[in-house]
Amino acid sequence: MLGPNGSGKTTTLGMLMGVVNATAGEFSWFGEEPTHDTRKKIGAVLEHPIFYPYLSGQKNLELNAMIKKCSEKNIPNVLELVELLDRKDDKYKTYSLGMKQRLAIASALLNDPEVLILDEPTNGLDPMGIAEIRDLTKKIAARGKTIILASHLLDEVQKICTHFAVLKKGNLIHYGPVDEVGNGKEIVEVNADVENLQEILSGFQGIERVDAGNSFCEVTLQQGFHSKDINKFLFDKGITANHILTRKKSLEKMFLEILSESH
Amino acid sequence: MLHLLTIDLKKLLRYRTFWVVCGLYFFTLAFITASGMEFLKWLAGLFNNFGSSLNIDRIPLYHFPDVWQNLTFISGFFKIVLAIMVVISITNEFSYRTIRQNIIDGMSRWEFLQSKILTNLLLSLMSVIMIFVIAFITGLIYSPEINWDYILTDLEFFPAYFLEIFTYLSFALMLGILIQRSGLTIILLLLSRIIEAPIDAYVGNHYSWGIVEFFPLQSISNLIAMPFARYAFQEIQDYVSWKAVMIVVVWMVLFNYFSYLKLKKSDI
Repeated sequence: MLGPNGSGKTTTLGMLMGVVNATAGEFSWFGEEPTHDTRKKIGAVLEHPIFYPYLSGQKNLELNAMIKKCSEKNIPNVLELVELLDRKDDKYKTYSLGMKQRLAIASALLNDPEVLILDEPTNGLDPMGIAEIRDLTKKIAARGKTIILASHLLDEVQKICTHFAVLKKGNLIHYGPVDEVGNGKEIVEVNADVENLQEILSGFQGIERVDAGNSFCEVTLQQGFHSKDINKFLFDKGITANHILTRKKSLEKMFLEILSESH
Repeated sequence: MLHLLTIDLKKLLRYRTFWVVCGLYFFTLAFITASGMEFLKWLAGLFNNFGSSLNIDRIPLYHFPDVWQNLTFISGFFKIVLAIMVVISITNEFSYRTIRQNIIDGMSRWEFLQSKILTNLLLSLMSVIMIFVIAFITGLIYSPEINWDYILTDLEFFPAYFLEIFTYLSFALMLGILIQRSGLTIILLLLSRIIEAPIDAYVGNHYSWGIVEFFPLQSISNLIAMPFARYAFQEIQDYVSWKAVMIVVVWMVLFNYFSYLKLKKSDI
């Protein structure tokens, strides 16, 4: 789930989890009318990790298990998974931000939920913390869980997710599989040891646009043309390229495009 | 039901403030209610200084059945301490935002409120048991004769005391849910009786004192009347009036209903 700050991601998830009252519309979970018991089958961390600061990680999880009406047997397993086993008896308020986020994921996994909702799970973490959470997310996804992820880290989303949705000002403006991001026009970076490279490239029939960059020209090709066609074109002109790179369109780029088109 | 109570107790029993406040409450309550004879001795000393005398043996403070009303009346003053603990417990849930996580984790809003109300019931019940035990023991010590008829007289002050504490805790819980900030809620709780008093007086003076007994905090104090004037040979209300009970029960239901409405409607 993507969208700029304030686009309604957390609000949407909050409505799905029963903490925000919807003014209109309806939803269902697992094809059923949503009740508070349905929420027990979902593990969710919205925005920040929330726990009782004066309780230890272990006690907080025991409390969560009571609320979810599930067995406490799973606590050591989830603590192991998020690597907090040796800090379980320390008070929550002594945890670092990364540990708090990990405890939140542990608590979301406590009930072996069918759906896991993670809202900006790497918010405010240092690079190491981000890497830890990313690995954890992949580990969980590999177990076959459905994960709903709201995030700003677009290349992470591109690597992990299968589908994406874009929100803007509370409206859904795009929805589709992540695979489709790579489709469309190809962009190729080209460089060669000639002065007027941009001019020469403009003469290629399949060209749509050529932008001169610092160390290379960025060529946007028309539909149906590929990097090998440029290579052949240059070679026929007697020019040997020293840099040709097909750039896959990134989710980031697509995201920005979708947003700017949606005025 | 028991499940919901244990959830709330699990939150509280490892919270140091809870132990300190409840410890102070039950200690002070026991200490004050059990030291009435010392107070009488001090009073007698004061009389002596002014050349008159007070025979404290003629004041049956701890005699059955006087002791029931005397102690439940005095204990009523300490409910504010318990109410502040209730405010801390509920406003913590808002400031830590743990109420939000509780609901995300699968509690319904009504279940959440129930868990708080059940704790209120438990705290009220503990107060009643404690005062009953102290009154019973001091009664046994100081009563000149142990007469079961006297012991079993006027026991209705205990259900009335229970209703008094529980309704007041419901009021505190409601304020906490409406205001959500601990400091402001505690100040309002402390001031609420003082704010109501002049309104009572105004309404009483200009309209009718009959209306005043329907006011929330006044009605709670009306449950157990001040008993001590009887030792100056004045007429007192030495029973619990059904009308007062009915009024307080209605307020008790309303306080908890308002809490429910507010929780149901707000985004958490």
